[in-house]
Amino acid sequence: MPAEPVIQIRNLSKIYRDFWGRKKVRALNSLSLDIHKGEVFGLLGPNGSGKTTTLKLLLGLLFPTEGEISMFGKPASDVSKNERIGYLPEESYLYRFLNAEETLDFYGRLFDMPAATRKERANKLIELVGLQGARRRQLKEYSKGMTRRIGLAQALINEPELVMLDEPTSGLDPIGSREMKDLILKLKDQGKTVLMCSHFLADVQDVCDRIAILYQGELKVLGKVDELLKEQDITQIRTSRLSPEAIREIEGVIARHGAKVDGVDHPTASLEDLFLKVVHESRERPGRRFMDSPAVDAKGA
Amino acid sequence: MLPEYVAFDLKSAALQWLLILGVGASIALLFAFIRSFALYGTNGPNEVGREIVEGSKDFLGISPRRVGALTMLTVREAIRRKALLVFVVFGILFLFGGWFLTQSNDRPELQVKVYVSFVLTAIQWLILPVVLLLSCWGLPEDIKARSLHTVVTKPARRNEVVLGRMLGFIAVGTMVLVVMSLFGYVWLVRQVPESAQSQLICRVPVYGALKWKDREGNEATKGINTGDIWEFRGYVEGATRGRAIWTFNNLTPADMVEVQEAGKEPVERLRVESRFQAFRTYKGNMNRSLLAQITLVNAAKKLAIPLKPFELSEFGNVVTLIDRKLTYDDDASKTKKTIDLFDDLASDGTLTMEVRCLDANQFIGMAQPDLFIRKPDLPFASGYFKSIAGIWLMMALIVVLGVTASTFVKGPVAMILTFFLLILGSWFHSFLDQLVKGSVQGGGAIESMIRIYDHKNPMVELDPTARNRIIKQIDKIPFFGLRVVSQIVPNFDRFTMSEYVANGFDVPFTEPVPPYDSALLPAILSLAAFAFPCLLLAYYSLKLRELESK
Ligand SMILES: Nc1ncnc2c1ncn2[C@@H]1O[C@H](COP(=O)(O)OP(=O)(O)OP(=O)(O)O)[C@@H](O)[C@H]1O
Ligand SMILES: [Mg+2]
Repeated sequence: MPAEPVIQIRNLSKIYRDFWGRKKVRALNSLSLDIHKGEVFGLLGPNGSGKTTTLKLLLGLLFPTEGEISMFGKPASDVSKNERIGYLPEESYLYRFLNAEETLDFYGRLFDMPAATRKERANKLIELVGLQGARRRQLKEYSKGMTRRIGLAQALINEPELVMLDEPTSGLDPIGSREMKDLILKLKDQGKTVLMCSHFLADVQDVCDRIAILYQGELKVLGKVDELLKEQDITQIRTSRLSPEAIREIEGVIARHGAKVDGVDHPTASLEDLFLKVVHESRERPGRRFMDSPAVDAKGA
Repeated sequence: MLPEYVAFDLKSAALQWLLILGVGASIALLFAFIRSFALYGTNGPNEVGREIVEGSKDFLGISPRRVGALTMLTVREAIRRKALLVFVVFGILFLFGGWFLTQSNDRPELQVKVYVSFVLTAIQWLILPVVLLLSCWGLPEDIKARSLHTVVTKPARRNEVVLGRMLGFIAVGTMVLVVMSLFGYVWLVRQVPESAQSQLICRVPVYGALKWKDREGNEATKGINTGDIWEFRGYVEGATRGRAIWTFNNLTPADMVEVQEAGKEPVERLRVESRFQAFRTYKGNMNRSLLAQITLVNAAKKLAIPLKPFELSEFGNVVTLIDRKLTYDDDASKTKKTIDLFDDLASDGTLTMEVRCLDANQFIGMAQPDLFIRKPDLPFASGYFKSIAGIWLMMALIVVLGVTASTFVKGPVAMILTFFLLILGSWFHSFLDQLVKGSVQGGGAIESMIRIYDHKNPMVELDPTARNRIIKQIDKIPFFGLRVVSQIVPNFDRFTMSEYVANGFDVPFTEPVPPYDSALLPAILSLAAFAFPCLLLAYYSLKLRELESK
């Protein structure tokens, strides 16, 4: 188990209230999580399950109703932690009257960076997200994917140690989302910690080390992706260009060993299976923690 | 109604400010403790303490670069959202304004007054709504669009956000103001008719403190009241020992004006202007006005030098020019002596002038601003741009109030709130002050109602019955509230300096010159006095609340 949790969440609950203090929604219920340095962590769940709420609580944009948060050992309300964090919001909430260069320069200034550094990083990031052709256009003219890209660039302006991405691939074209995944893996290689929410399970499966699945504000599954998806009693054999004769021969071999061939087909996105199963079960039997994973280490705290 | 002359007292103003701030802070702390107790139980006081420590850290660690970034952002936003279209309105106003302003047969100083008032009023009432609108909408829009989320998840502190916004809107206002005021100046100088150009000047009066002596020569706090309800002027009886005594401080030879008489070298003289009121108890000599005489006095050196008597004038000021070398009859040595105005008489810069009336049984009425020393005139631009500075300060105060209000409530509500403050502070403040001081007759709300019901006029004392006494006590409660309001609502009269310039005067720096209420220093301090608590309030308002739009 890697040491040094970057984020520690203990019994975190959030109830949204209206103006008069009446309870509207219980968006998060007693969540406990540790996110460690250097890992890519995926937060999954259906719409409205509390993923964005969790991120906003971590950033101090919302105040918890109950529970504690520690980021780099500091409380969520401490602004100085932001020096080490990059955040890509669900929708890129940027100033639409600025152009790409001005946007990056502005956020660079908020990190108190000197002009030379700002300029250098802005150039590098504009190139990284592929907006060279639109660097002088105001953001209000940008397409959704372009807005996403500039949003990502601003999240990386300070070379953060912890990157929090709220649905990073939404709105991106296939190439864009491939690049995004490569980028996340690159960040991981650089030793950075990534916390992301996503609906694109294939993306999550590709890049995440560990995941948590939330359902209506409750943690249902927490664990390593490969362990969660490994099903012990199924063996999958993948080959390429197998002739029908060869398949028949292999079936014969399996039958001789007393096993039965369930089916021969192309493998499905198995995280999708898991996800659907969890959501389905949670709906059937509310209030039950679906699957305990070996990675939960929060109980004693 | 003219206000009485009140010297601006920095020390007592500062003390009062500290008192109000202290009371306000104590109330806020009390609420904070109660609320934190409700939220966190026994841990509450710790939370309050933590917030205070964090707040102090945030204020000490303000980063100019971050504030600058937010300021620039605000300016860019205003420009790219075309807030500067206000110039178009301004331009149109001036293109057509000149046609309707004055008749050329008006007196020159009246013409100037109309033109100058028009320009300064137009600038003020164009710029205030613009900054009001901008400053009240900026932050709420930022919160609503959640672009503020991206800012506060960077190391930008909430006070930097507030400060950046305020400075940004002030910068926008400054840009607008600079362009408008330059345009206005050029327009004025070109538009004022040839015949009235000579009136585009800035007179610089120096006022003294006024004391009185009664007819026996004893010190008095007031002049004689001749039955006028309006007690602005006090009167001095002719051919008695009654005197009105002005004392001027900090005079130097540089305060003299250059006087050019035909065929002579120009000489430097001290120029005194006066405008007194005559009050005749009998007709007397109707071929001339009443006679007054000024005597220069230095009590320490036992010097008293009477100047030539002069007739009062009904229109315009009487000008008295005092030579630097003064000759007088010395009673002791029975010889003529000559002394120097500045080296001998006013060697410490202090000059005392006693004014008396020479006609027996007639009266001369005088008030503090009725006699002043007029220093060399300044160019018109001096007063004009000083009163623009007044508008700037007022604009900055509106921004401060608007941004602060907008951290609590949404744009439209913030706007109404700030606008209400502006109206209350510019038109009702003097009324509010009188009400609080109890100088409005007829008592409070319930008392007035009873007077109406009983058909009693406001001058008559109510019978001291138990009912009436209780009513007077109850009436005091809203008065206390009003007193608090009158302390908290900014007095926008302090910022309106256009009257000085319109009437051909320079704008004073330290002390208001009656009958007006404004001077630069009090206005600057007023702004500072509001800026600090507003910044604090806005900071905590943003910090202690979730920035979700609701
Ligand atoms: N500002 C708010 N006021 C009231 N309720 C809110 C607010 N924001 C979110 N909620 C509620 O909280 C719950 C969780 O919302 P959240 O945005 O965290 O979901 P999510 O997991 O990010 O969903 P999605 O996948 O659609 O982004 C939802 O029921 C939502 O309606
Ligand atoms: Mg979300």
